[in-house]
Amino acid sequence: MASGPASAFTGPDAPDLDALRKCVHCGICLPQCPTYHVLGEEMDSPRGRLYLMRAAAEGRIALTETLGQHVDRCLGCRACETACPSGVPFGQLLEATRAQIERHGTPAHRGLLTSFLYRVFPNPARLGTLLGPLRLYQRSGLRRLVRVSGVLRLFPRLAAMEAMLPDLPRGVELPELTGARGTRRGRVGLLTGCVQRHLYPHVNRDTVRLLSVAGYDVVVPRGQGCCGALALHAGRLEEFRGQASALAASLGGEVDWIVTNAAGCGSAMKEYGHWLPDVPAAQALAARTRDVSELLAGAHLPLGRLDATVTYHDACHLAHGQRIRTQPRDLLRRIPGLKLVELMDSDLCCGSAGVYNVLEPGMADALLERKVARILESGASIVASGNPGCLLQIQKGLRARGAAIEVVHPVDLLARALTERA
Amino acid sequence: MALTRKFVDELRAIVGKDGLIVSDEGRLVYECDMHTFYKGLPDAVVLPATSAQVQAIARACRREKIPIVPRGSGTGLIGGAMAARGGVMVGLNRMNAILEVDLPNRCATVQPGLINLWLTNAVRERGWFFAPDPSSQMVSSIGGNVSTNAGGPHCLKYGITTNHVLGLELVTGSGELVQLGGVVADRPGYDLVGAAVGAEGTFGLVTAVTVRMLHAPEAVKTALASFTSMEAAAEAVSAIIAAGMLPAALEMLDSVMIGAINAGVGAGYPEGAAAVLLIELDGPNAEVEAQAVRAAAICRERGALAVRVARDDAERALLWKGRKEAAGAVGRLAPTYLLQDAVVPRSKLPLIMRQMEEIARRHGVLIANVFHAGDGNLHPLICYDDRSAEELARAKLANEELLEAAIALGGSVTGEHGIGLDKAKNLPLQYADADLNFMYRLRGVFDPDRVMNPDKLLPAHPACGEGFRPQRPVVPAGAWV
Amino acid sequence: MSAVASRSVAAALRSVTAADRVRDERAALETFAVDAIVPRWVARPVSVDELAAVMTVAAEERLIVAPRGSGSALDLGAPPARLDLVVDLSGLDAIVEHNADDLTVTVQAGRSLHALNRYLLAHRQFLPLDPPGEAHTVGGTAAAGLSGPLRFRYGTMRDLLLGVRFVQADGVVTWGGSKVVKSVTGYDVPKLMVGALGTLGVLGELTLRLHSLPEAERTWLVAVPSAAAAQALVASILDSTLQPNRIELNDHTLGAADAPLAVLVSFGSVMEAVVEQGERLARLARDAGGEARAVSGEWTTASDRVAGDRRTTLRVGSLPARLRSTFETLRRALGRIAGARSTLGAHTGLGLWRVTIDGATPEAIATAVAWLRDAVAEHGGYVVVTGGPVAVRRRVDPWGPIAPDALALMRAIKTTFDPDARLNPGRFVSGL
Repeated sequence: MASGPASAFTGPDAPDLDALRKCVHCGICLPQCPTYHVLGEEMDSPRGRLYLMRAAAEGRIALTETLGQHVDRCLGCRACETACPSGVPFGQLLEATRAQIERHGTPAHRGLLTSFLYRVFPNPARLGTLLGPLRLYQRSGLRRLVRVSGVLRLFPRLAAMEAMLPDLPRGVELPELTGARGTRRGRVGLLTGCVQRHLYPHVNRDTVRLLSVAGYDVVVPRGQGCCGALALHAGRLEEFRGQASALAASLGGEVDWIVTNAAGCGSAMKEYGHWLPDVPAAQALAARTRDVSELLAGAHLPLGRLDATVTYHDACHLAHGQRIRTQPRDLLRRIPGLKLVELMDSDLCCGSAGVYNVLEPGMADALLERKVARILESGASIVASGNPGCLLQIQKGLRARGAAIEVVHPVDLLARALTERA
Repeated sequence: MALTRKFVDELRAIVGKDGLIVSDEGRLVYECDMHTFYKGLPDAVVLPATSAQVQAIARACRREKIPIVPRGSGTGLIGGAMAARGGVMVGLNRMNAILEVDLPNRCATVQPGLINLWLTNAVRERGWFFAPDPSSQMVSSIGGNVSTNAGGPHCLKYGITTNHVLGLELVTGSGELVQLGGVVADRPGYDLVGAAVGAEGTFGLVTAVTVRMLHAPEAVKTALASFTSMEAAAEAVSAIIAAGMLPAALEMLDSVMIGAINAGVGAGYPEGAAAVLLIELDGPNAEVEAQAVRAAAICRERGALAVRVARDDAERALLWKGRKEAAGAVGRLAPTYLLQDAVVPRSKLPLIMRQMEEIARRHGVLIANVFHAGDGNLHPLICYDDRSAEELARAKLANEELLEAAIALGGSVTGEHGIGLDKAKNLPLQYADADLNFMYRLRGVFDPDRVMNPDKLLPAHPACGEGFRPQRPVVPAGAWV
Repeated sequence: MSAVASRSVAAALRSVTAADRVRDERAALETFAVDAIVPRWVARPVSVDELAAVMTVAAEERLIVAPRGSGSALDLGAPPARLDLVVDLSGLDAIVEHNADDLTVTVQAGRSLHALNRYLLAHRQFLPLDPPGEAHTVGGTAAAGLSGPLRFRYGTMRDLLLGVRFVQADGVVTWGGSKVVKSVTGYDVPKLMVGALGTLGVLGELTLRLHSLPEAERTWLVAVPSAAAAQALVASILDSTLQPNRIELNDHTLGAADAPLAVLVSFGSVMEAVVEQGERLARLARDAGGEARAVSGEWTTASDRVAGDRRTTLRVGSLPARLRSTFETLRRALGRIAGARSTLGAHTGLGLWRVTIDGATPEAIATAVAWLRDAVAEHGGYVVVTGGPVAVRRRVDPWGPIAPDALALMRAIKTTFDPDARLNPGRFVSGL
């Protein structure tokens, strides 16, 4: 390029200009974007955000507070990637841009993050919103993120709120090795995840059971840490790389596949190749990572009757991040008696998006409201979705509406229908 | 032009704080439509929620002689929804409600920001659809379709947007809110709806549209025929029409485009073929069956390598998915391209294809083709890298030469994308001064102060905004320009 | 104007055409009278250039001009207040260019529809415009906005006119549109010319989209016991996958209160599809309490053949889903006209009714039209007097009221393009 103004992006991991230039400004992403849906303004659409990123890369604008707001407001759901005919890697560009803002952003921008938390955290009405993310906060790498963001002084309040939370489910200790039953298909390592492990431990237990019945030896390596997804989405790349490398080391044993039942984790792990090109273990892990539905889809499962009308919500990081849509649905359809009804706008984000519902509660609530309305229209008595964040968010929304609709992981239903008892 | 604080306050009072964008970053995002080559920063963007707000905006701008630029989803290909002279951009995307669906009278009334496909989605289960289907239909707004008089693959059989617009609510450039046409057919008086459709926002802002709804056909059959040359495919197109068939769509893709689409959305088009013809027949089952056999036979007679008929809706959708997302998929070939939209008489397709190859070779540019062959509407995508001024210059030359070649064959400057800023300079290829003068004067009826979307649709006149003076025709009657 | 001046106008017109193509003798002029107003000159150009030259003379002499095709729709609109020059377009009847492979044709305005379609028959193509009557020219059909039953499938002139060459009031030849089947280049000037009754310019040449003749075509007549049954049948056809060419409510003679109504439906396609759709129609007919039987496709209806100066015709615009109530309204309105024989029929798939009234006084017709206008206005309907005695059209505005906001724009358009009001002044809506 002819020498023009200097790019606002500097240093390693700058958003790739060639990737930005893949956007031909067609706008097909607009109607797929949750924030454009709600706000109806183009700065909060994928095309608009890409345009701002490119303007920053070409030195037309600086990393201003306003730019930061529009980038922050993105859920990172990557619905735009599914829609994009040009193959723009929006998620990676977003994360790289957030990393730039983290690194160079103005103090005012950091203060913004704080102010969001300030407004949200001490508000008792937000308790429901906070329930999930707080636990997430406790158990995941977010704690460190928040500390660095300057929220540390809020800790007493957080501690107080945490005290009001109901007890977390009792942890389930999974055996380090569960042998395959029936025809052996291979050996898998299970990522137990931060949220899944603490809030939905039975999903991990059911996952092990199903994989075993499906013919896999299931290893649950001890001492595994966080996959780093939250740090990645926040643009905290250094932290993310540390977590990813550690996970790759701890999960990198002699297995054919690494299985996860949390869409957000699986999506991040499959991206390791892009972010850690020089770490062979991370590369290998990325190549072997599979969502549980991918492995179960190809296996025989002895399933008994389960009479229920179920609808399926596409977790963003499954449908858009990993392009997995049919496998979970097909698995559910295999359960005799189970009637699967389609959910309108099933792949429109529920507003959970990691810790987004804490940082951008207004947007998250608006999206949740739409999601709940669609679920109620569907007539289903159970909603299934393959990501713990979605389960928490949707549960909260349905509870607020007083709807007696169960919210479960698809693995949960498969395990209930499994005729072969452990 | 910078707006005064007082005027910005006035805008804010009309649309509210959430409906006004004045930040540098916000305005930047609105500086262009899909034709990113043309950029123009609006001084403010307003996002009204009601017709009354639109009217108030128009009146305020007219009073101050501030340009008004309407915008829907910003997917236009002609530099239409960009602020060539600054001013106030009016984004109508938030006015996206379906106001009424009246299938017994085969119509619906919608707000302009409604996304085209959403209208069909709303009635599909009842077996109905909205016929205009520009390739952008999953995002483009009906107001935008009306403004550009958008076409689409299926307009071969069903006609373009204007054939489906029954009534309009319009805020004119003079700030009047007028109701034109309506559900009842053949109202007496001038066809103001017909005149206003395709006016590209130069008459005013569309605030509601009443459209014709159609019942879906009994059967649809999509076939894909691959050929070893573009000419053979073009000849098959003419032969199919000559045999008395009127397919719903007849789309052609060249090998460059086939590659890009396969890489992008995996439509499963045959690699290696030099041309692919997508043929869609719809109508009563018996008609579709009989015609599909005949169309396939015609393709084989013209040397088709293979003719594949979609077996189910999923396969049909996949064949179309590739076609519909072609313009985006070409991003895989080159970072930027010029998209030409000229039309030639259908029978001249083989000829223009040969000329196009020659033009591409002469200027050393890559041209990908995906177009509405059935009605001769070309869509060559002339690829270039916008980091190279020299490459852009060659692409522009090729583009202009192509257009001139099409007009020389008796064609038209634009088939469906419109004029905008991009082609205003090309209008004299098709129209004499007298013809343009008529249009200038027509514009003045709706927008006496020339605040509406300045510099679009008509070429700027040396006399700066004055209409052309009437003069004798420069071409003899009977000769086609 | 003095006799000398008058002779010089004739001379000027002759100088730009030919001696024998300008008439100024009384006997000849009388046959070109419009609503009994006799013009002072008739000019018959044979090319668009000549037409332009004639119009230039008219502009210089400030003549009031009425274009004329076959003269078969001259009673559309209000009677002219004044008339100087009739431009007889019958000499402009050439087929300029027929591109059979492109399904387009360019014809001069004076070519008759029938003659054009006779020519196209050899190519198995046609211009699918079928206004009742034998004589209509292509230009007249465009200017008067005429259509027929085929419009259900093929649309009207509005949908088929691709390009138009016309001469403005000042004599400037102007071209709008294109020569190809798809174009959005510039404003859609052809649309503005359709139905404008020559008040914005005189049409010289039209480029039209053609269609292939269907391989097979058949018509079915469904006799139904009531308007309610007719409405049910039409609704079920519209909400089906049938693709009719025409859906007509056949001409119905009012009087016999309970006389059955006839819905005529035709299909054009390959034979298998025609037969199969006929069978499906028969089932829909039975559901609506009627019986379908194949008939010969005779679309020139009884009332179209009734000639005579005493006949008044109306076009009533309504909604297709309001068939029954519109029928009742029309029957009430027409039933009140003493001594009248009225018939009515409709392009019922589109809610467009045509009414013929014979043997009634102008006063009675005016009263009925006024009442009818009120009655149909509620649902956006209108009544246009499309033809009839001068006395009727003097007493009642043939076009009816136009909404003020739209009228203001129409008036501005007229003033812009015909500032001296010399093209068919007073004959179009609201005296334009």
